[in-house]
Amino acid sequence: MILYDYILSPDCYKIRLLAALTGQRLTLQAVDYHPGGEHRSAAFRMLNPAGTIPVLQDGALILTESAAILTYVAAMSGPDWLGEDSPQMRGQVAQWLAFAHRLSASIGKARSHDMLQQPADINACRRAGVACLQELESALTEQRLMGFGYLAGARPTLADIACFPHAMLAPDGGISTDPYPAIRLWTRSLRALPGFIEMPGIHRLHELKPEPIGTAGQD
Amino acid sequence: MTAAWTPVALARDLPRLGVMPVCVDGIDVALWRSASGRLAAWADRCPHRGMRLSHGFVRGEALSCIYHGWSYGASGSCLRIPAHPDLEPPEAIRVPVHRATENNGVIWVALGDQDNTPPALTGLVPLRSVTVQARAEVIRSASGLAIGADGIARGHLASIAVAVLMQALPEGATVLHVLAEPADPAALIAASRAVEALRRAAESKGAA
Repeated sequence: MILYDYILSPDCYKIRLLAALTGQRLTLQAVDYHPGGEHRSAAFRMLNPAGTIPVLQDGALILTESAAILTYVAAMSGPDWLGEDSPQMRGQVAQWLAFAHRLSASIGKARSHDMLQQPADINACRRAGVACLQELESALTEQRLMGFGYLAGARPTLADIACFPHAMLAPDGGISTDPYPAIRLWTRSLRALPGFIEMPGIHRLHELKPEPIGTAGQD
Repeated sequence: MTAAWTPVALARDLPRLGVMPVCVDGIDVALWRSASGRLAAWADRCPHRGMRLSHGFVRGEALSCIYHGWSYGASGSCLRIPAHPDLEPPEAIRVPVHRATENNGVIWVALGDQDNTPPALTGLVPLRSVTVQARAEVIRSASGLAIGADGIARGHLASIAVAVLMQALPEGATVLHVLAEPADPAALIAASRAVEALRRAAESKGAA
């Protein structure tokens, strides 16, 4: 399974994260997204005409939408991450996979504008990003009132993996995450999962690791 | 000088080993809870390089900065500098400490000396904290809540009795800490949605 990947992309990271959590091995193929713009090259567009990342290639199968890639990886190596096989759960998970596109189009775009100098109506992106975070906060608050810790119930699913990276990285696009206590607790729970991996800007919970014993002269 | 208590969070939103940024009278504060459950409210600035300590992490009874790992103990004094493990940190390296207390499920912070206790809010359960881009008076007039003798706004949201504590933020924003009478989850969810409706109403009123 080959993932065409860019280290700073939240949408690529969510695929790497799910693969790590489910034990799915990926062959990473780095794409020079910035500054090279390799995703817009003729060669890359032979693979994905849309010129976007991530792209997953598994034999003859090529998937270019992160929601589809998450679904495929979960079905292959971690079916629990699809949620239980009920119409309600399938609907809920699909709801949040679709919602994650709104996060990419708002928070993700604000972040690419601020970090990679990509053109955007930055104020509109930030307003839409705040609205998304408010919806996420309310949904997580309601889950907590029902006694659940994740977007689609008591255990983490694709719903959480799809929304987590942009919620964590919003400050990169000038959108504060300070006002959202339910989002803060939820991202903490996800970062504490066995097998969790980091990306630049999203670190593991240091408190779960033993204190390193330093040696004089290092650092 | 006696300072007022400011409500800064619902206790439920700060678990053990948790740290979060809050704002008291325009001052940034890192609010954290140790492994043993001890609550602390410190200046949100590492004395080393000025990084926000609320970005840091809690190990045992100490808060560590995410930048270079300097860790600080209960009194705010520096315990350890990882790059100089044999050095006993000088007394002068110390984070300013504020008063923090937890009362009926609400965390309160005071920047100065404080003899009295925050108002009691018995018989209520935490609902949620919501940040509103409007001043307290705009929110009060949008909500129809009444201010009691204890200074706390009370009333009903989606037919649930609530108490609303207001925390002023810089630039005219306000955090609402909402507590509700005990009720089943469906009723509390309806009240939570009513808080969102109140936020939208106050923000459109404030913008008008």
